[in-house]
Amino acid sequence: MRRVALVRLAWAVPILLGVSLVAFVLMRALPGDFAQAMAGTAAGVTPEFLDSIRADLGLNQPLWQQYFTWLGHALQGDLGTSFVTKRPVTGELFSRLLVTAELTLIAAVMAMLIGVTTGLVSARLRGRADWIIRGFNGLVVAVPNFVVATLIVLLAGLYLPSLGIFNYTPFATDPLANIGSMLLPALSLGLGVSVTISENTRAAVLEVSSQDYVMVAQAKGLRKRTILRNYLVKNALTPVITVTGLQVAALLGGSILIETIFTIPGMGQFLFDSVTSRDYPVVQGVVLITATVVVLVNVLVDIAYARVDARVSYE
Amino acid sequence: MSESSSARITLTSEQETAAAPAAAPASGPTKRRRRRSGGRGLLILGLVMLTVMTVVTVCGSWIAPYDPTKTSAESLSGPSSAHWLGTDSIGRDVLSRLIIGGRTTLLIALIAVALAVAAGLLLGLLSGYLGGVVDQIVMRALDVVFAFPVFLLAIAVVAALGPTVPNLILTIAIVYTPIMARVVRGPVLSVKRLDHVEAARSIGIREVTIVRRHVLPMVISPVLVETSLTLSHTIFTVTALSFLGLGPPPPDPNWGGMLSEARQFMEIAPLTVIGPAAAIVFATLTFIVLANGLREMLDVAGRS
Repeated sequence: MRRVALVRLAWAVPILLGVSLVAFVLMRALPGDFAQAMAGTAAGVTPEFLDSIRADLGLNQPLWQQYFTWLGHALQGDLGTSFVTKRPVTGELFSRLLVTAELTLIAAVMAMLIGVTTGLVSARLRGRADWIIRGFNGLVVAVPNFVVATLIVLLAGLYLPSLGIFNYTPFATDPLANIGSMLLPALSLGLGVSVTISENTRAAVLEVSSQDYVMVAQAKGLRKRTILRNYLVKNALTPVITVTGLQVAALLGGSILIETIFTIPGMGQFLFDSVTSRDYPVVQGVVLITATVVVLVNVLVDIAYARVDARVSYE
Repeated sequence: MSESSSARITLTSEQETAAAPAAAPASGPTKRRRRRSGGRGLLILGLVMLTVMTVVTVCGSWIAPYDPTKTSAESLSGPSSAHWLGTDSIGRDVLSRLIIGGRTTLLIALIAVALAVAAGLLLGLLSGYLGGVVDQIVMRALDVVFAFPVFLLAIAVVAALGPTVPNLILTIAIVYTPIMARVVRGPVLSVKRLDHVEAARSIGIREVTIVRRHVLPMVISPVLVETSLTLSHTIFTVTALSFLGLGPPPPDPNWGGMLSEARQFMEIAPLTVIGPAAAIVFATLTFIVLANGLREMLDVAGRS
């Protein structure tokens, strides 16, 4: 068990290094001058001023040296200074990461609840219920999350204008209102993922249902509910947990759109604002942090999976 | 569909069942037969939807009742016999914009996916067939790319390159190539050990010929399914980027941009939102239906 965890963590190191390299290259491969972008287009930008910025940023050093300097700073938690606010990126990014994490978590829980319920119902009842759920899933999977979000905003605006659910409230001010304001955004974010979970749950339950030990349980006359609880759910949910973990990347990617639509001050909105204002250190920071979170979550999922399922091992 | 990876993850986990014995659906012989007959219906439905979309897109200039960029004084007028879906905030005909707007969106998706499939085939075949060091390098590089949510990477690349049509195509091709490569590599690994490939090698046929004549045909089915699925994902990506204002530049219409513009006035003119929303859903649904139909007809392992 501990070995599996260590091996997976060790595997994550080169991937994270690669991730940092991609984030670095994305920045440095920009057409145009990095120093020019930093100075902005304000009047009074002299060539000498640009040179001083270049010297400041170490842009006159060879590329590999720049990369290692940047990586060294990043490892110490220094992601540079925003071009727009002139403040360190790290502090702002961290507070926004918490907001995005909350949104993603609520969305994941919702997706789990909807997905596992519909998947179980689909697999156990079969017949018409199965048909309806799968049809619904088939349709929902084709509706992009930003379309879901827009339609939700439209419907709420038309029929429940007094609801005021779209005013984001910080958690510190009012925790309940905060969670309330997250529910609809989380639903639009999690709905697509719930389909994946639903289909996987259905397949897993059907698979487990045909196993011999379930037949034995039935043959010895155990009640349906007992079989469901002790045999089916337990064994079928293991792969479902893995699938849900793998969806974290999808949720984080989708949060960019959802946060922009619902004006939630998370990392996605930060990224979007920075992309429009060409605030490259922020873009780089968000890309780096998001990918790191995805890698770490995948490692956790692998470890959790190995813990639940003893057959998993790595040489 | 939440970001494109929903189906991508399912597919890739399918490829890697050897590494992690995750869920694989039971499909006995009787079940498989039933699924395949259901597949024909899906395939026909998908082809019909595709035909409708293609005809509307190709003949767009003749079908569209108005010039999609021509403004008029009647802004945000509701549906009428003159404007079936009403007009937008600066008096442009919504229906005409929808018809013409599909062209840009679909064109970007189509060219980008064609590029991604070509690059992915090459990478996947190389990696899977050669194995060894090449395979290791390619797979580790892909691991890195997979750490980035597709949409995040797309935003970052477009932001770096600038939002023009060629750059959008390039971005999407870059972002989807790794997914394609992984889909190709899986089957290549098992196909290259099959007897007919061994036989071809033993009589001294050139490796390039073996790959082209004996390996490639056997991996075409999963590639076909994945291409259709990727098309639906790219339509999501293109429209989502346009929705955020990173799409093709105005005033030419595109679905994502239309949806985003319409949000401001959507309580007064709901049709301006529902039109592009329906168009986007129709396009993604077309390729998903097509992919599922193909998968069941061709009996490719994987889940819907």
